[in-house]
Amino acid sequence: MRRILFIGMMLFPFLAMAQGFQVNLHGQKQIGMGHTGTGLLQDGASVLFNPGAVAMLPENYVQGGISPLFFNSAFLAAGANQQENNKNQVATPFNVYAVWGPKNAPWKVGLGVYTPFGGLTDWGTSWTGKYSLESLNLKAIYFQPTISYKLSNIVSIGAGFVYNHASVDLTRGIPVSSSTASSGQAELKGNGKGYGFNAGIFVKPSQKVSLGLTYRSKVNTTIDGGTATFAVPNALAANFPSPNTFSSSIPLPSTTSLGIGYYPTNKWTVALDLEYVNWDVYKSLDFNYGQTTATLQNTHSPRNYKNAYDFRGGAEYKACTNVALRFGGGYATTPVQDGYVTPEAPDANRIYGTLGFGYKLAKKLDLDVSLEFEHLMSRTQTNIETNLAGTFKTDVTIPGVALVYHW
Amino acid sequence: MKNFKYIFILGVFGFLGACKPTITAPTATGSVDFTRYIAVGNSLTAGYADGGLYLTGQLNSYPSIIAKQMATVGGGSFAQPLFTTDQASGTGYQTLTGFSSTGSPVLTPVVATAVRGSIPLPGLGTIPLFTKYSGALENYGVPGIKLNDILNPAYGNGNPYYERLLPGASPTNTTPYLDFVTAKSFTFFTNWLGNNDALSYATSGGASNDLTDKAAFATTYNTLITRLTATGAKGACATIPDVTTIPYFNTVTIGAILAGVQKVAPTITALYISARNTDGTYSTRAATTADLIVLTFPTSKISATTGYGLDPRNPIETQYVLDANEVALVKDYVSAYNTTIKATAAAKGLAVFDSFNFLTNLKNNGLLINGIGLNSNYISGGIFSLDGVHLTPRGYAIVANQFIIAINSQYGSNIPLANVSAYNGVLLP
Repeated sequence: MRRILFIGMMLFPFLAMAQGFQVNLHGQKQIGMGHTGTGLLQDGASVLFNPGAVAMLPENYVQGGISPLFFNSAFLAAGANQQENNKNQVATPFNVYAVWGPKNAPWKVGLGVYTPFGGLTDWGTSWTGKYSLESLNLKAIYFQPTISYKLSNIVSIGAGFVYNHASVDLTRGIPVSSSTASSGQAELKGNGKGYGFNAGIFVKPSQKVSLGLTYRSKVNTTIDGGTATFAVPNALAANFPSPNTFSSSIPLPSTTSLGIGYYPTNKWTVALDLEYVNWDVYKSLDFNYGQTTATLQNTHSPRNYKNAYDFRGGAEYKACTNVALRFGGGYATTPVQDGYVTPEAPDANRIYGTLGFGYKLAKKLDLDVSLEFEHLMSRTQTNIETNLAGTFKTDVTIPGVALVYHW
Repeated sequence: MKNFKYIFILGVFGFLGACKPTITAPTATGSVDFTRYIAVGNSLTAGYADGGLYLTGQLNSYPSIIAKQMATVGGGSFAQPLFTTDQASGTGYQTLTGFSSTGSPVLTPVVATAVRGSIPLPGLGTIPLFTKYSGALENYGVPGIKLNDILNPAYGNGNPYYERLLPGASPTNTTPYLDFVTAKSFTFFTNWLGNNDALSYATSGGASNDLTDKAAFATTYNTLITRLTATGAKGACATIPDVTTIPYFNTVTIGAILAGVQKVAPTITALYISARNTDGTYSTRAATTADLIVLTFPTSKISATTGYGLDPRNPIETQYVLDANEVALVKDYVSAYNTTIKATAAAKGLAVFDSFNFLTNLKNNGLLINGIGLNSNYISGGIFSLDGVHLTPRGYAIVANQFIIAINSQYGSNIPLANVSAYNGVLLP
């Protein structure tokens, strides 16, 4: 007769796939120069940076690069004096490009496979925010066939189709205690897909200057039939049907980039890029479960992102015919408003500096090495959905290496 | 050469991974001596939970959590009168082993292992005697103790929880509680006495254990605080919660019982209780939602055969009901006690954790900490243990943090808050 029903005990929204999970590691030459490239003709990475520029590329390219990403985030809970760190895990964003066209033809075709969004975070199962997030492994891999046409020696245009293959694996604690006093856990795992396009225009009015403008569309990515697994005490098994399915969708935002290249001497290239990310399409994150109960209900979490900017600058110096030295940096604003910061990728305005080194291994083979250091401003926040309160501070170090074969 | 390069690159990567950002915690603005912190109080202070005092509860007592946090800012060691691992079940307690088909929890007792005997005492009946504890002691929490008991020299004979801390055996003890806790010097204290002066009356449905007289409460509280601060120690006091905010009085309700009865006998529209009149006498009347039924009421007593609870001639007995007038009476006393506590603490410049406000807020609004939704509900609320009065480890961690916040604010200290996520709620099968 003591009517204890666990009705409405936990309506818990998943905070997955939050913010700042845009990854800008799209080519080692470009990384070295502070991620500039929209207005340049560097190599096959133009497939991403500006499909309009592809037809102007002097050669054909096959290239691949990888940028192991060391994401070091620290959290100091409000009122605590022991900071907590995420575990060392190395994400591996990569980029592969191929560009081909007959000699002297006005057109070229290209293919890009790259990772413009993702996140790999593991805070462990015993940290303060474990009921917000334990770990997240999110990957979006874009496949982009591209075609580009040279209208004249001054102007070329191009466009690509984007297929996104996404995967997510997220774990989170459930604040119930088993008979051995351990917490419950939920895991969401699934694959998704989405489609989009991009287009660009490249203008080279003189030997001294080049310009580019690129639009990369929003890619609505949908996960259907993902697996939701809940580890909870037996007494709650009926409340958390497991295994369950879930579906969700997330709009990966469109970006618009404007870039300019300036060549004061034949040894120097100076570049500036401005990128505008239309994050405000990301209004909410919704999860629908295959089976719902009074405890486990579909969720709707407001995100309310705002549009973000990324200001980039960089330069390349050709020290000799075999060696190029590059450096650059930039500043990016966060799309995440106060109150919405979560541990998946504790976002904040960020400043970054990059270094690059290019070496001609052989006549047709370049080795490019890049190194980036990124600092996210410390941000003291109380999340409106969980009340998780504290200060996040993140440093990211990203070495990278690429091989570029061109002919 | 190739290998060397590889090793070099790996080394560089390892180094990069090791660069961790650091966030600087705020520093203290005041200085308080936490060298020897003692905790004065009752069952809540002792870590009592799930209807008993046992090792896991003791290890998660709020004073032990405070002390653990204090240790990082100069606090000393903190000894508790722990039961041994062989006698971990202590005085025995309840566990949750399942739910009935109607959703009611099934509680199963864990038998006591720390009982060394029993003794008959005149007027008190036979009381159990628990395994003695004779080591260092900083947590002086004694389940059952009222503020009204702290000067009583014979108290160590009738309260087995106090008796086990004293060197002598019942019935030879003559040390009043206040003398016992102040015998050894200390630099800081928390004091959460006074709950039982109202709670004992309430949990017995107003049937026994009179409320402590308001003036007597004030006098004794003054004596207590004067003694605790006599050698310059700083400290924190806590007010007494509104007893009607705890699940002990809000889980088995008149409405729920009536609904159960009406499933079988739809014509029944009222339950009858023995209720207090404003003049202090008792008479039978129909129950309303303002009357609170205790958690331990055996609902099986309600019977069409005997008419228990259903016939005005056979009402639910007073010990199972804190009726509306009794509620008003207890609230009035708690309010007076809290006025005393706040005034006395303020006069000595002590920190105050206002548990009255805190638990009232919890009941009205719930609480969200680190993504953990908490409220005053029985079992699912996360804060109260299976007895509906005492707290879970998570509840005690939250109380510890409330004390810490009050202490830091009063003294400019920087005791770090405990990580509530690391403490569990009610254990589910």
